[in-house]
Formats: sequence, C-alpha cells, structure tokens
Amino acid sequence: MSKRTLPRILQTPSVLLLLVWMLVPLSMTLYFSFIRYVLNSSIRPEWTTPALSNWRGLGNYKYVLDAKDFWFAIQNSVLIVSSILVITVVLGLGIAVLINRNFPGRGIVRVLLISPFFVMPAVNAVLWINMILDPVLGLQGLAVGGINNIIDGLRDFPVLGWFFNLWPVLEPISFRATQTSAYAVIMMVAWQWTPFAVLIFMTSLQSEDESQKEAATLDGASPWSQFINLTVPHLARPIAIVVMIQSIFHLSLYAEIEIVSRGNGNKNLPYLIGEFTSNNIGAASATGIFAVILANIIAIFLLRMVGKTLMD
Amino acid sequence: MATVSQTSKFSKIAWPVAAWVVALIFFFPIFWLVFTSFKTDADAVKPEFLFKFTPTLENYTNMTQNYDYWKFATNSVITSTFATLFALIVGVPAAYAMAFDPSRHTKDILMWMLSTKMLPAAAVLYPMTFLTKNMLGIFDTHFLVILVLCLINLPIVIWMLFTYFKEIPKEIIEAGKMDGVSTWGEIKDILIPLAWGGIASTALLTFIFCWNEAYWTVRLTTIDAATLSKLIEGNRAPEGLFFGRLSAVSTAAVAPIIILGWFCQKQLVQGLTFGAVK
Repeated sequence: MSKRTLPRILQTPSVLLLLVWMLVPLSMTLYFSFIRYVLNSSIRPEWTTPALSNWRGLGNYKYVLDAKDFWFAIQNSVLIVSSILVITVVLGLGIAVLINRNFPGRGIVRVLLISPFFVMPAVNAVLWINMILDPVLGLQGLAVGGINNIIDGLRDFPVLGWFFNLWPVLEPISFRATQTSAYAVIMMVAWQWTPFAVLIFMTSLQSEDESQKEAATLDGASPWSQFINLTVPHLARPIAIVVMIQSIFHLSLYAEIEIVSRGNGNKNLPYLIGEFTSNNIGAASATGIFAVILANIIAIFLLRMVGKTLMD
Repeated sequence: MATVSQTSKFSKIAWPVAAWVVALIFFFPIFWLVFTSFKTDADAVKPEFLFKFTPTLENYTNMTQNYDYWKFATNSVITSTFATLFALIVGVPAAYAMAFDPSRHTKDILMWMLSTKMLPAAAVLYPMTFLTKNMLGIFDTHFLVILVLCLINLPIVIWMLFTYFKEIPKEIIEAGKMDGVSTWGEIKDILIPLAWGGIASTALLTFIFCWNEAYWTVRLTTIDAATLSKLIEGNRAPEGLFFGRLSAVSTAAVAPIIILGWFCQKQLVQGLTFGAVK
C-alpha cells in the first residue's frame, strides 16, 4: 500500500457523502428548472411528471423574473439581511467593548448575553410574536395600554392637563401584518445573533495588542480615537466574517417568517420557493438556482478569508 | 489628577452597571418565557397578573396531554445524538488524515466541504422531498433525519476537528508510526486521548446545531420522526390563547440546549468561524 493510499481511504467516506448530498439534489433542481413541471394540472396532465419532452428552456427563469413576488422577495431579503447586519455589528461592537474588562460578575454577564443564541428559531419566533410583540396580549400591548392609562389620568391635571391633552392615544403595532412582520423578524433575529457578534468580537479583542494601546494613551490619544484608529482596524477581519456568516444564515431564514406571518407581506427567496413548491416545481427550481447564485457570491468572499488562515 | 481619579471612579461603577443592564435586557425574553410558563393560560394574558400571580406547575404536568411533548423530545434526542455520533465516526478519520497527512489537495477539499454548507437548503427542497418520498420511501423516518442532520453538520465537524488536530505535535503521531502502531491504533490510543477535549466540544456543538435545526426537520417529517422544532412551529398559537402552556413546552424545548451552550461558548467561535477568528 503506497503512502498516499491510507489518508485517501480515510477521507473517502466524508467526501463521497458530501458529494452525493451536494450533487444529486442540486442537479435535480437544475433539471427541473428547465422543464415544465407542475404537481396538479387537469388541462396538461403530461406536465405532472418530469420528462425531457416538457423542455421549457429558460422559460421558468423568465417566468420567475417577471413575477412580482420574486422582486418583492429579493427586496425583502435585502431589507431583512442588511438591517440585521447593521444592528448586530453595531450592538455587537458596543457590547464587546463594554464587557471586555474586569468587573464583578463578568462570567455571569457573559452567560446571560450568549443565551439567546442557543434558543431554537421556532421558539424564538413564537416567544417574540406572542408573548412580547402581540398588540393586545403581549408585553407590547400591555405597555401601550399602561402608558395610555397613565396619560389619561394626567389629562385632568390642573395647569399641566392641556399638555397631556395634546398627547395622542397610542396605538399598539400589529406585527403580523404586511411590512411590519418583516420588522418583527428583524427584531427577533437581531436579538438572537447579536450575542454571536459579541462573542466573536470579544475573542478578537482579547488578542489586541495592549502595548500599542498603552503607547497611544501615553501619546495622549483619547479613548474614542484609540477605538477608531486601533480597535476598529484590528476588528476589520472579524467584522467581515460576522457579516458574511450571518448573510449566509439569514438569506435562508424560514421558520421565523413562517411563524410570524406565514409569508403575508414578508417573503424571502426560501419562502417563495416553498410557496412555488406547492404546485409549480419548475418555477420553484428556477428560484432555487437564483438563491444558489446569490449565496455563492457571498460564499466566495467568505471562503477566501477563511482560506487565508487555513494552512498556517 | 483629581479629574482623572474622579472619572476612573465613575467608570469603575458605570461600566459594570451598563454591562449588567445590557446583559439583563438580552436575557429578559428568555426569563419572560420561563416566567410565563408558571402562569395558567388565563393568568398569562391578564395585566393584573403580570408580575404577581400564583405560580403553577400545571403547564408542565399537562405537557404530555397538551402537546405529546415527550414523543417529540425523544425524536429530538435520538436524531441529534445519532447524527452527532455518525458525523464524528465519519469525520474523525477524515480530519486525522487531513491534519497529519496533508496532500496538496487537502486545502481545496476543506474549502469545498465548507462550500456545501453554504448552499441554501430551500433550493433543493422539492428534489429532497421527491427523492425521499417517491423514490426511496424514507420520508418521515428517523433514518432520514439523522442522515440529513449528519450531512449538514459534517463540514463543520471536520473543520473543527481539523483545527484541533493541527495543534497536536506531529512528532507524537510519527513516534507511534515508528513503533509500528496501526492507523486504527494511532487514532484510538494516541489521537483520541490527546484531542479528547476538542472532540467533546465538537460533539457538543454539533448536538446543539442538530437540536435547533428548523428547516429539514420540519420539511422532511410529518409525525413519526418530527422533532421539537416541528412541534413548536405547529403550535404557534396565533391568537395568544395558550401563552402559559406554549411557554412551558417552549421552555422544555430550549432549556437543555441553553445549558449545554453555556459550556461551549468558547468553541462556538471556532466552530462557526471555521477557525478564522482566534
């Protein structure tokens, strides 16, 4: 047995498994995206079985590109992913700097902060949309009701009463409706992923060169300029990684969207694929290929970054 | 000098207080979930019982009748455990070969493995349903869920193990070779004892990912192999009628994992960034 054979044998099961897992379903998607394929059709029953004779060329792609929902889904994906990224990176940086020092109970603070990350997505969505954001029964509804009550009581107040009379009666926001459901998803996912950003930024802050900072302090640099000129450049790489990993995860959000509004007024590409899959497999597959292309654009950058540190 | 000591005194108190406040805000939703789980369904939606109420365990004792919790929990335990186990069985030898016997393709193979993780699952939703339901007949079986969970986590398992194994000095493994130890012996007697910590945290993290997986476990099951993700998604209680019991079953679904998670925060960074952040 040659020297190279054994390592190959050891890697073969993994490589084969992943190869099949990646190639078989994806080539089926690719094939379906070029044919007319629907699950139910009384007029054209021949379209209900996948066959080369139903070839449609780029027709499914054209159909998807012309669909209003597709552009809405793209827009919405961009809105959701970019909002989450901005919130998590900004909050993550702030919190990481805040807890990157010694203070009593730091261990407990860390444990409390990281916990949201381990909540399963379905529970996250159920918890936020019901117990917290519900306009009547959730904390939001109760809080709005409470504020309205207090202001109501103040309206009869002598002298200052006129001021409170100007206050409108607050209306709770229903997060299950149209565009607001996207905000609910942004909120709950940002809550879950900010801890991830904190954890990564903190790991990276701990490897920051302290002597550089001390020198900067001696030179009279303010804490803010130290943060901008030393810490942020040091964190550039972790920030890029947080952005890319989150993009990949959040482009395929599903459970949260399903639970919050069942896609009403708030769809992304995976959700649209799910809807197409109930009948129009051709369109679902074409949308799937678009989703793969989109994810790959981000993945290439991420893989480059990861690849750089791989072999040192 | 006076101002300096004043600011430092101020910051000595202000920073920790701010850190604690932020941590409590972030933890609050989880606290609220657990808190609500001790209220009856009726009390949970009444403002007058917001903080003052008679705690009850009935939501937990009725969990089996209300939701058939244990069936779904058992499925979650079975699928997550075996998926983790299989991923390790396949992953350890691969990572071992890559770390101690790298060829010029090793880097490319690792990158390619990672890229499979980045394919959007939804893109292959119908083919997966078609394959498992119409062709293989394994839809809604434990076997399928285990297989899929194992496959989606295998790249991360290999990556994590690879970064741990790389830290073991090559000489130790070489010495074993000189003494005529077989490959299996090397893995069993030298590698596994040395990398035990790394393997354990890889397993823990993989288990967490499997438990929380919410796409395939929902789409590829109906009843028999359905996990907790599916249970919760199916009982979203749109009109808020069952806040108490929903909170209890949700708490029961996430509590074990949050506690496990506390033990592997450090490994989380490595596992999720593929060793790119140290």
